[in-house]
Amino acid sequence: MVGRESLRKRRTKALLRRVAVLVVVLMVAVLPAIPIWLMYGWLVSQSFSGRVILGVLPSKLTLENWRFLWSPIAMGEKEYPNIWPITINTLFLALGVAGLVVMVSSLSGYALSRMEFKGRTGMMQFIIALHAFPSVILLIALFVILNKLGLYGKGFMTLVGIVLIKAGLEIPMATWIIKGFFDAIPWDLEWAALVDGCSRWRVWRSVIIPLVLPGIGAVSIFSFLSGWSEFLLVFTYVAQEEYYTLPVLIYHMIGEFIHIDWGMLAALGLFYAIPTIIFFSVSQKMLLRIYVGGVKG
Amino acid sequence: MPRRLGRKVLPFLFLAPMLLMIVLAWVAPLILTVYLGFTDLSIKNLLAFIKDFFTDRVQRTLENFRRIFYAKDPNIGETLRVTVLYVASVLSINAVYALLLSIAIAYFTKNELISMILRITWLLPRITPGIIYALMWIWFIDPQYGLLNKMLQAMGVPDGWLPDSWLLRKPYSQMLMIMINGYVGASFGMIVYTAAIKSIPPDLVNAALVDGASEFQVARRVIIPLLKWPILFVTAWQTLSLLSSYEYILMVWGAGSGGQYGIARSAGVMVWSLYSYTKAFSEYLYGYASALSLILVVIGLTLIVLYFKIFGFKRLMEPSRVEV
Amino acid sequence: MVRVTLDNVSKFFGKVKAVVDLELEIRDGEFVALLGPSGCGKTTTLLMVAGIYKPTRGRILFDDEDVTDLPPKDRNIGMVFQSYALYPHMTVYDNIAFPLKLKKVPKQEIDRKVREVAKLLQIDELLGRKPAQLSGGQRQRVALGRALVKEPDVLLLDEPLSNLDAKLRILMRAEIKRLQKELGITTIYVTHDQVEAMSMADRIAVMNKGRLQQYADPQTLYNKPANLFVAGFIGSPPMNLIEGSVVEENGAYYFVTPSFKYRLPKEIGELVASKTSDVILGIRPEDIRIVIGDGDDTAINGKVYVVEPLGRDLLVNVKAGDTLFKILAPADLQLESGQDILMAPDERKIHIFDKKTGKAIV
Repeated sequence: MVGRESLRKRRTKALLRRVAVLVVVLMVAVLPAIPIWLMYGWLVSQSFSGRVILGVLPSKLTLENWRFLWSPIAMGEKEYPNIWPITINTLFLALGVAGLVVMVSSLSGYALSRMEFKGRTGMMQFIIALHAFPSVILLIALFVILNKLGLYGKGFMTLVGIVLIKAGLEIPMATWIIKGFFDAIPWDLEWAALVDGCSRWRVWRSVIIPLVLPGIGAVSIFSFLSGWSEFLLVFTYVAQEEYYTLPVLIYHMIGEFIHIDWGMLAALGLFYAIPTIIFFSVSQKMLLRIYVGGVKG
Repeated sequence: MPRRLGRKVLPFLFLAPMLLMIVLAWVAPLILTVYLGFTDLSIKNLLAFIKDFFTDRVQRTLENFRRIFYAKDPNIGETLRVTVLYVASVLSINAVYALLLSIAIAYFTKNELISMILRITWLLPRITPGIIYALMWIWFIDPQYGLLNKMLQAMGVPDGWLPDSWLLRKPYSQMLMIMINGYVGASFGMIVYTAAIKSIPPDLVNAALVDGASEFQVARRVIIPLLKWPILFVTAWQTLSLLSSYEYILMVWGAGSGGQYGIARSAGVMVWSLYSYTKAFSEYLYGYASALSLILVVIGLTLIVLYFKIFGFKRLMEPSRVEV
Repeated sequence: MVRVTLDNVSKFFGKVKAVVDLELEIRDGEFVALLGPSGCGKTTTLLMVAGIYKPTRGRILFDDEDVTDLPPKDRNIGMVFQSYALYPHMTVYDNIAFPLKLKKVPKQEIDRKVREVAKLLQIDELLGRKPAQLSGGQRQRVALGRALVKEPDVLLLDEPLSNLDAKLRILMRAEIKRLQKELGITTIYVTHDQVEAMSMADRIAVMNKGRLQQYADPQTLYNKPANLFVAGFIGSPPMNLIEGSVVEENGAYYFVTPSFKYRLPKEIGELVASKTSDVILGIRPEDIRIVIGDGDDTAINGKVYVVEPLGRDLLVNVKAGDTLFKILAPADLQLESGQDILMAPDERKIHIFDKKTGKAIV
């Protein structure tokens, strides 16, 4: 042990390195996260208080900000439609998208996972390519198509059109996810059922579907949230206020620059975020796995 | 015979609904975008076009591309500059900063609970519905009610440096644009990298520690080289999605002004894809807007072909896989 | 080279007690094996010596220096991992050079040392390759080279042979032993394979459930197991362990089970009886002689159950009542299933353990 630094010196150096690591974590991951914490802290405390101190500390606790739940929304001179029809629109959009996506992609996911046909590999590559392709570029052409289908400016039917489009945009990824779940089921299970004399349809219904239910659950939650958060399509294609969804309503309310009512906006925002919060805290792991599969953004 | 035929047809029966939806939502609009890019479609002849795709009121023309490439449109230069600034800076956050972030969270932070709290924190912007995220930023930067200026003051930034409006004053507005998108984008890289770091065999890291590496040297000489493919993947994927993303810019700069799209240009945050959007839905020049989009489509398709070449199918599927 | 001392070391992961109150001293230049079934805490112990885990309690000393708080970087150790843990993005050369680069050794010296080690391990042909292009045996040598190149004070080996095929394993066993003696590095070797431990180590520390069972040289471990665990774990086929009690009849001492009765030598009987009556008797398969026909009066009556020829000798399963004995007999012995025989245990090789504590009495 000749020529080695003294024990004390090595120990000090080791300590310094540990501190350096801590400093890096602080600088890179903690300090820049402060605005995030502040923003969410504000959203919650603002929604329940008359005014907030230093942005995040609530004071004068009140439910006044939540009055939109039982009365029409007025902000400045403008009166906005009642919240509940708007919520129902949003729910319709989200449920419609989720339902359509699940139905279509469980069929196609199964076919891609289990059936041999010409062009299967090509089809899978095509789906991945679509997944990578940024769909927002197509907004203008989709507008023309909606017009052509007679679904533009038709109130509720426009929402139906949006459900179709949104589902169509989500389906490649959903198919891919469900295919992954089918891939994980061992083949012999299916063979066993076939040997037992079930038809392929029956196999599908009584053996396979129960096993991919978790996958289907994940995809439904994911597409529900994606429909629930959809902003651009509704914002661009829906002109009549009665057929707004929550994000579009909130957008227009933020637009009331001068009369902006932070308390009510925060409450409304929180109200709108409820499904996201619930689903995410329930199925965090599952959703994360899907996010890794790649979401645009 | 009918049995065998059934076996051939059945897969396509299963696939038919998906293919139908894909045609409706992807293929048809893609083809239409190409076509519209070569027309003078606008509010004036839209109705006629809807009634009859081949009406002679819609002219086929190259004028749109002349306007773009010969800079007849005075806004093109500025839009291009903003787009480059936007893509380059947000991309470096998404790919490079996210790497530091992931190493800090998934490797340097040994405490599982703290690591998880940090991960969820950084995920929040992505999970939150866009409009709420935008709302929170609009509050945060508000000079009167918000906290950003107060925070910067507390950190010792002189008052003179702080803008009266983050939304309107260049270059603050552009910094804001980068921050808003950067916080969302960082989580994409973080998710991919964190999964990749977790999949590095612990023995490999231990071996480096025993070999005499400090924590930093482990990060630099073992973890980062092993994350080569995930880093490439995030960079490639995000390039494409940033080129075409404008939702947050639209939400923040579209709102807050009387007119719907007015302040994005004066604030210097008008990116290419948003420009195309405003041309279509605020100026009703559908043909020209499609031509602007078409350029993105071409870039997009080229990049996708390139990605398949570089990564191969397998790596595109498992971005977080570490090859050991 | 150094002396490694583990002073009352414990490691807990939450509620799981991986290592409990371990006292161990490894002498300068000694080759010590940590032996035990999987999950016994041997790898945890090794990682504590390496500095990757910090002990929950206790101290680790290199010579007289307390290194408990020092990171691996400051301990000058070399380690070979079970998975070899070669850096996949580096060539063999860079893998071996890595520890030296981190020490900021001058380039020329790095080159000289890498080539020297590569030659010693006969991998000088492979220096330009990536780990993925190597066979298991070659990887193992590279890992060893990487551990040795920095001339470590302590060499740690974590099941280094378990991923090799049987033939190569025997080859490497000898080679590692030779290398260790040649270089004289203090070495700790973790394994679950008793043959490896017995054949290579100067001393063996047998561990189970996080606790040290016995720490002794291979011969002592085999001939004088300190407790039931060691007795059962060391030796193949394992020692016969039979539950029973010790009783005195007319001045003679007997080991009694429901199936048979065996007269113990007087000294042993007295010693055991003075402590407890519930015991477990242990006798190794090779320490019982099979007698056909008349034996002396201490022999046990049995019936041949199954004979397993092992080539060099026979493994005979003999039943005495309900108790099954395994006996190693010369290969030329003619036996048939069902045949009545006598078993004559070697009195000097009898082990008796306290049933309650598991500790050896004799």
